[in-house]
Amino acid sequence: MHESADEHALERILGKNEEMADHNREHFRRLKACTFNIMSAPGAGKTSLLETTFRLGKGKFTSCVIEGDMVGNLDADRIRKVGIPVHQISTGRSCHLDAQMIARLLHVEEMEKAEAIFIENVGNLVCPAEFPLGEHRRIVLLSVTEGDDKPIKYPVIFRNCDLVIFTKCDLLEHVDFNISEATKHIEAINPNVKTMQVSAKTGYGVEKWIAWLVSEIAGYQQHLKHEKHVHHTAH
Amino acid sequence: MHEAAIAKSILEIVGQRLQSLGTAASAQSVEVLFGEFRNVDAESVSFAFDNMKALFPGCLNCQLSINTIHASARCKDSEHLYRPQAENAYRCPSCGSGIGKLFQGEELDVVNVIVEVDTPLKEKRQHARVGRRARA
Repeated sequence: MHESADEHALERILGKNEEMADHNREHFRRLKACTFNIMSAPGAGKTSLLETTFRLGKGKFTSCVIEGDMVGNLDADRIRKVGIPVHQISTGRSCHLDAQMIARLLHVEEMEKAEAIFIENVGNLVCPAEFPLGEHRRIVLLSVTEGDDKPIKYPVIFRNCDLVIFTKCDLLEHVDFNISEATKHIEAINPNVKTMQVSAKTGYGVEKWIAWLVSEIAGYQQHLKHEKHVHHTAH
Repeated sequence: MHEAAIAKSILEIVGQRLQSLGTAASAQSVEVLFGEFRNVDAESVSFAFDNMKALFPGCLNCQLSINTIHASARCKDSEHLYRPQAENAYRCPSCGSGIGKLFQGEELDVVNVIVEVDTPLKEKRQHARVGRRARA
């Protein structure tokens, strides 16, 4: 004989990923490493921006990169060429990185020396938005060749980010992309977001982007010092 | 295609519920909420769920029930309540400003699991409850 029973089970479907992301965040906190999750559509210029950042920002902070791609290690090779330690994650059939994939890399040596860890997510404006990795800041790149209506089509990723960078701005005069319209669309979804314009090819705006990174890293280090001070005072 | 990962997570949550009840339990249905402001396609999740459920003990006959939750927001400038939609670029139809606060639409939750348990197990559970009462 069988009986039915209602099991009220309010549980977040992606709760396990969120718990693992919290675990990663705590690990990054212990390493004193500020972590940036960089997301965009394929071909928006994530790797190019990182290459230029490391070239022009040399000596400003120590870095390590985690490259997420479905197959191959072409992007990792490019980052390695500019002298930055890099770890490739091949996601296979998966179209995004998840927190468990990042957790497997937490104890590699280069990671422990970095003040900034850049996670280049798989090129995709949909799935990566749903999977926090333990990052401190989420950055979305939108290239001017994609169209200024993309924030309306992919609202979730633009809502859940701290900074949107318009890339390939050297091409602005050749395309119909309207930066002002795109910014309005983004701000309608995410009122607290910051925006920036860069061209990794010409270096336009990269100085401002590096200054933002330096400020974020310094702010994070300051936060950790304050946290340590409060902890000592409490004891 | 993260819908497969979402279907798998739902089945894992159901599996954990069943495990906590014992091996003689099986799931009849699971009810989930998907907010409009999540990147989840209900049809794809259902497809993946139906194709994966045989792999999870006690889930073979489990039906997935999906409820979509409309987004609801207060606009930034005039504090009107409205439903942000792509058609109006997520702006308030009254004043044209964007989202100030999003009240609902970001749900991605399992809210209910209906399980079938056999009577000996139920009796066992009742005994356990009596035991706890006796200690109290």
